[in-house]
Amino acid sequence: MHVLVLLIQILVLFAVVMLHVAYATYFERKIIGHMQVRMGPMRVGWHGLLQPIADGIKSFFKEDVVPEQADRPIFLAAPVICLVAMLTSLAVLPFAPGWVLADINIGLIFILAMSSLSSYGVILAGWASNSKYTFLGGLRSMAQVISYEIAMGLSLVGVMMLSGTLNLSEIVQAQGTSFTGMYVFPQIIAFFVFCVAMLAETNRVPFDLPEAETELVSGYATEYSGMRYAMFFMAEYIGMMVMSAIGTICFLGGWNGPFTVPGVPFFWFVLKIYVFLFVFIWIRATLPRYRYDQLMELGWKLLIPLALANIALTGIVKAVIG
Amino acid sequence: MFVKYKPKRNLLETILHTEILQGMALTLRRLFSRPITRQYPDEEIPVALGFRGQHALVRDPETGGSLCVACMRCATVCPSRCIHIRYHEDDGKRVVDSYDIEALRCVYCGYCEEVCPVNALVLTEIFEYAAYSRQPFHFDRDGLLANWDRFCRERNISPQEYVNPFWRPRGLPENRLPAGKRLQVPEDWTMEGQVVGSRYREALPNDGTR
Amino acid sequence: MLMLLFFCYCAVVITGTGLLAVTLKNPVHSVLMVLILFFHVAMLYLSLGAEFLAAVQIIVYAGAILVLYLFVLFLVSLRDEVKMPRFVSSAWLGRLIAGGMVACLLYILPVFTTGAKGDWPAQRVQAITPTRALATEMYSASVLPFEIAGLILLVAVIGGLLLARREKDVHGDVK
Repeated sequence: MHVLVLLIQILVLFAVVMLHVAYATYFERKIIGHMQVRMGPMRVGWHGLLQPIADGIKSFFKEDVVPEQADRPIFLAAPVICLVAMLTSLAVLPFAPGWVLADINIGLIFILAMSSLSSYGVILAGWASNSKYTFLGGLRSMAQVISYEIAMGLSLVGVMMLSGTLNLSEIVQAQGTSFTGMYVFPQIIAFFVFCVAMLAETNRVPFDLPEAETELVSGYATEYSGMRYAMFFMAEYIGMMVMSAIGTICFLGGWNGPFTVPGVPFFWFVLKIYVFLFVFIWIRATLPRYRYDQLMELGWKLLIPLALANIALTGIVKAVIG
Repeated sequence: MFVKYKPKRNLLETILHTEILQGMALTLRRLFSRPITRQYPDEEIPVALGFRGQHALVRDPETGGSLCVACMRCATVCPSRCIHIRYHEDDGKRVVDSYDIEALRCVYCGYCEEVCPVNALVLTEIFEYAAYSRQPFHFDRDGLLANWDRFCRERNISPQEYVNPFWRPRGLPENRLPAGKRLQVPEDWTMEGQVVGSRYREALPNDGTR
Repeated sequence: MLMLLFFCYCAVVITGTGLLAVTLKNPVHSVLMVLILFFHVAMLYLSLGAEFLAAVQIIVYAGAILVLYLFVLFLVSLRDEVKMPRFVSSAWLGRLIAGGMVACLLYILPVFTTGAKGDWPAQRVQAITPTRALATEMYSASVLPFEIAGLILLVAVIGGLLLARREKDVHGDVK
């Protein structure tokens, strides 16, 4: 019986997240369109509202082309690895008090582990396609993810030190319900490092070098088509949401808000995620792409030292005060 | 040449990334501005005067045929050689046998309508004439006359009165125009307002003759 | 019973993927086998209640070290490596040595016995979560070995930097 309930919960979460992914693409196109004084999708449904569904149906029925010289099993598995790793990390996110599929004690590093795994999908896709563009995209993604994962992990160490736990629900509870209790204030440096590393981890502009359209066609996904291509995009958008959720939980106080909305315990959590997603899109509409050496320089020479300094500072302050 | 593309910033500006914030503010402002997109099939796109679209032979209101006198100027001036005319002489007068235009080869330069002494060949303002094969783009004389009828019908134009100032040769003064080109043009149109050929007109002697 | 089955499954997969990792022709496939191996090792850790260790296993080994292996594999020209002469010329000699080693290991196996109980029985670890237990032990009782290990790693990092650094001549150009 318990298993059945859990299964239903998983299905509901999956459906809700997939719907969010579909409409995240819609809002991305709409918002970027309006920021560029265009309109974005307008033709399918009222103001293009059915566009993501049309896109989904289209990519589902498109031919799944596998290049002749590709490493077939790995080529076919790579997008699945990406998507599964991202979907798995959804399980540990607390949406509201008690609204979590798996309330495990190592939630935070579990998500870090899963996000490092999803980079395998990208790397293997780049290698297995047996094409120059995809290979370059895969190599770039590899170096980028390794570099920024360190910065991201280190930036979250400050939060772990303050809350004294790795359980995501307990991290939210440790911040209390007050506005000033949010870790964004004591951990402002970590928040900055986290935000930059978050963009790099999800391969978003201005760090979208693995899929740089202007140089690498579509980077690691160049040889993919149909549903498998769509899977990479689903993984990217779920990755954005998971990273937003981590930012919300660790720095912005999770589901707590100025007042409780009756009947909708996850209201503030979802709202904060939407704000994060909007900032993701907003940055994409504004900033150009980094050069590769600048990317590495930013990661290794600025973010990692900043995160280390933040850990030392947090440790000292904590030792002095508490 | 030394291009200074990175302006000096003070420490505070470097730390706070003011330039990025400025850019973000700009995009956020644009988010709430009116988009300039025209929703084409739903919204009419205003066609500017002088637009060079589908070819047509002007239908002579008296005879019902074309005004063409088979002077061959259009076929001669055409840079892509897409106009083919056949004629025979009948009692010292040229009679057009066939008049064909391959629209797919045309570059829409508009020279043909400029050189035509009687304003017989025109490029109309119609641009929606896509088709699924090549054949519909080979206009013969009847097709070209039908194009003119379509133009008059769709744009609500009286064939007797309509004249497009851009059909005039560029830079020529009024008194040197052939008779067919001296038709009355709209009153708000001036030679100075015609942008194309203005350089050439400036280079002319002041009395307007060559 | 279920735990035993789970352990057997993990053991079989670990052994199988380990064998495949050394026998597969394509080195990238070998690395993927090692990835599956690391996963099952992490699952074994999980079944023992060492969740922190399992997560670190995935982050560090699967997420970082194996990716670096892949990086090296991608950048090294693999076709030249395949043509190297065999280390041991006779195949049967190699099999003999391998068989002897297996026999030795099997002979030693009964010697293993469980040691004396330490300060951290499973109940105590579970009570304060394995992460906290590990931290408490590492940063109090074993702080000196921890620092020494850190120092050795620092030496390795500096050594790596020195090897990778290129000398600059008086004009500041890289040689």
